[in-house]
Amino acid sequence: MAYPPQSPAGAPTPGGEGQSRRSFLRTSAVFASGLAALAASLAPLRHLEDYTSLELFMQKYYKELTPEEMAKVLQRIEREVERQYGVRPHVRDLKPMNGVEFAYAHNLTRCIGCRKCVHACVAENNQSRTPEIQYIRVLRMPHGTLDVDKSEHHYDPKLVPEKGYFYMPVQCQQCKNPPCVKVCPVHATWQETDGITVIDYDWCIGCRYCEAACPYWARRFNWTKPSIPKDRLNPDMAYLGNRPRRQGVMEKCHFCIQRTRAGRYPACLEVCPTGARKFGNVLDPNSEVAYILRTKRVFIQLKEDLGTSPRFFYYFDV
Amino acid sequence: MTRNGNTNRVLAVLTLLFSGLAVAFALRLWGRPVVLPPIPLVDPIFTNTATARVSLGLLLQTHGDTSDYDCYTCHDKKEPVKLKLDDQGNVVLPKEHSDLVMGHGSHNRNNNCYNCHDESNLEALQTRDGRHPKLAESSPLCGSCHGPTYDDWEAGAHGRISGYWDRKLGPFVRQNCVACHDPHKPAFPPRAPAPGPHLLHPIAQAAPPQERNP
Ligand code: HEC
Ligand code: HEC
Ligand code: HEC
Ligand code: HEC
Repeated sequence: MAYPPQSPAGAPTPGGEGQSRRSFLRTSAVFASGLAALAASLAPLRHLEDYTSLELFMQKYYKELTPEEMAKVLQRIEREVERQYGVRPHVRDLKPMNGVEFAYAHNLTRCIGCRKCVHACVAENNQSRTPEIQYIRVLRMPHGTLDVDKSEHHYDPKLVPEKGYFYMPVQCQQCKNPPCVKVCPVHATWQETDGITVIDYDWCIGCRYCEAACPYWARRFNWTKPSIPKDRLNPDMAYLGNRPRRQGVMEKCHFCIQRTRAGRYPACLEVCPTGARKFGNVLDPNSEVAYILRTKRVFIQLKEDLGTSPRFFYYFDV
Repeated sequence: MTRNGNTNRVLAVLTLLFSGLAVAFALRLWGRPVVLPPIPLVDPIFTNTATARVSLGLLLQTHGDTSDYDCYTCHDKKEPVKLKLDDQGNVVLPKEHSDLVMGHGSHNRNNNCYNCHDESNLEALQTRDGRHPKLAESSPLCGSCHGPTYDDWEAGAHGRISGYWDRKLGPFVRQNCVACHDPHKPAFPPRAPAPGPHLLHPIAQAAPPQERNP
């Protein structure tokens, strides 16, 4: 006698199609988790937009951009800044003014080393707060020497000025003969007709040759992603000036392009409580700097012997 | 084995590989960025553009409290105020003026009130050459004794000009002498410096200052 069939006639035998369903499920589970794993392993690409975008990648060299293309670029930057900081900035591309050559003069007799210029510069130029990027380094020098090897910039007394010292802030000297420009392999940094050496942060490849070439330690590199609190962002920006930088590019003092090419004084000058900082157009005989270079007897250019010919002059009041 | 089995095996290996990578990225086994201790934001007093001192001129502009400058709430217009001098010839101040600290020049060279204030009208100043500038417009007074500094100031080399370097594009302000100097004790007072630079590497930050240079 045959046993009665356990399943209705025609039903698939166990192990027949059941087997194939299980194997189908297994295969697809493996496949799905494989895909998920692939996606997860590509996770670092999520941050790619912090580094580049298609538009940025396709962007032409600054000097070759037509005004229409520049307008598009500025819009892209405004969009990117808004996405990152939630603040819609006003980004301009300010060109050098005709008949203007900038110079800076710093009065070593007046400076008290209070470092207000350092922090006003950070605030104006949207420099990273952690890690800290500062364009101005104030050197404390013992009286009777101009040897920067004897200087100290981590001084931290209760009150300044201290007896026996004078103070010498160093920032980009805007050389007439800039070594940093010569070494740049991609022409991402160049000197403009008003004397400002600028950097195109979108063209910089971060090789840091310029940093090594600068005898004034004036160039700063974004080793990590810069961080600026949203409420401290300065929305008045210029393309070659204070727009936020990305990780992996150089930056430095640019005489506050966004202010000075609009006729205003740089931020470090405005904040100086002693009036030690002087800025202006040397080609204008009535400017403060022209007066100083004409009438003050003692002025020096830092590391004059290197032949860099800075546009930043230090002088003593006598 | 079937082709199907081979595919499964390859898929399984790939899955393992990618899962491994995913876990590694999630745990950041490579290139884990050094977490920098957040650097405290700088106090806004170090980024404001205020001058060292609040002068009468500024008080008038900002509609501040100018009661200290209303001399004739206490003094009598008809009666010139006599100076009280001690044996050395120094001015002795009453307690109403105890907030004035005198010390103009070494050896109190310029402490006589009437070198600057007008004895016949306390609310004005007087220069040695007979001009009578207003109390709020004291720079020409300073200039009457500090000629060379005054010339520098007019040319913009002493003191500070704020605003627009390009006079065609906008206004500018030449800060008055008393915006920086207290007329009674004009030496520029020392002040607390803003915080110095922090280093990128936390390890280096712990080193004593002498070894951190430059
Ligand atoms: C709070 C009231 C008060 C105000 C406001 C005031 N004074 Fe006086 N001042 C006095 C008193 C009280 C004396 C001492 C009595 C005196 O000699 O009449 C004095 C004395 C003086 C003296 C003589 C100093 C000395 O040798 O004792 C001069 C100068 C003077 N005041 C100038 C001024 C001027 C300038 C102003 C306005 C900018 C002014 N005072 C505003 C109360 C005041
Ligand atoms: C170097 C010139 C000079 C001398 C000397 C001088 N003053 Fe003044 N004084 C001024 C000027 C300028 C002002 C207005 C300051 C400002 O704009 O903030 C002033 C303001 C004042 C004020 C009102 C504001 C305040 O700080 O309370 C008083 C009171 C005063 N002087 C009293 C005196 C007395 C008293 C003497 C003598 C002991 C004296 N001054 C000596 C130049 C001088
Ligand atoms: C009557 C002349 C005279 C007038 C007006 C005058 N000063 Fe002076 N000032 C002097 C003398 C004198 C010295 C001391 C110079 C010295 O000791 O070498 C001096 C010193 C100074 C110093 C050097 C710091 C110090 O205390 O040694 C400063 C800053 C100064 N004056 C600022 C001013 C200002 C600002 C004004 C206007 C409010 C002014 N002076 C008005 C005569 C004057
Ligand atoms: C922006 C601020 C500022 C203004 C405005 C200013 N000074 Fe000064 N002045 C200083 C500082 C800072 C010093 C250095 C003082 C010190 O070392 O005690 C100084 C020094 C001086 C000295 C001392 C002499 C010297 O050369 O070291 C005199 C005198 C002087 N100033 C007069 C004036 C006169 C007069 C005016 C107005 C015409 C004026 N100052 C405007 C900031 C200023």
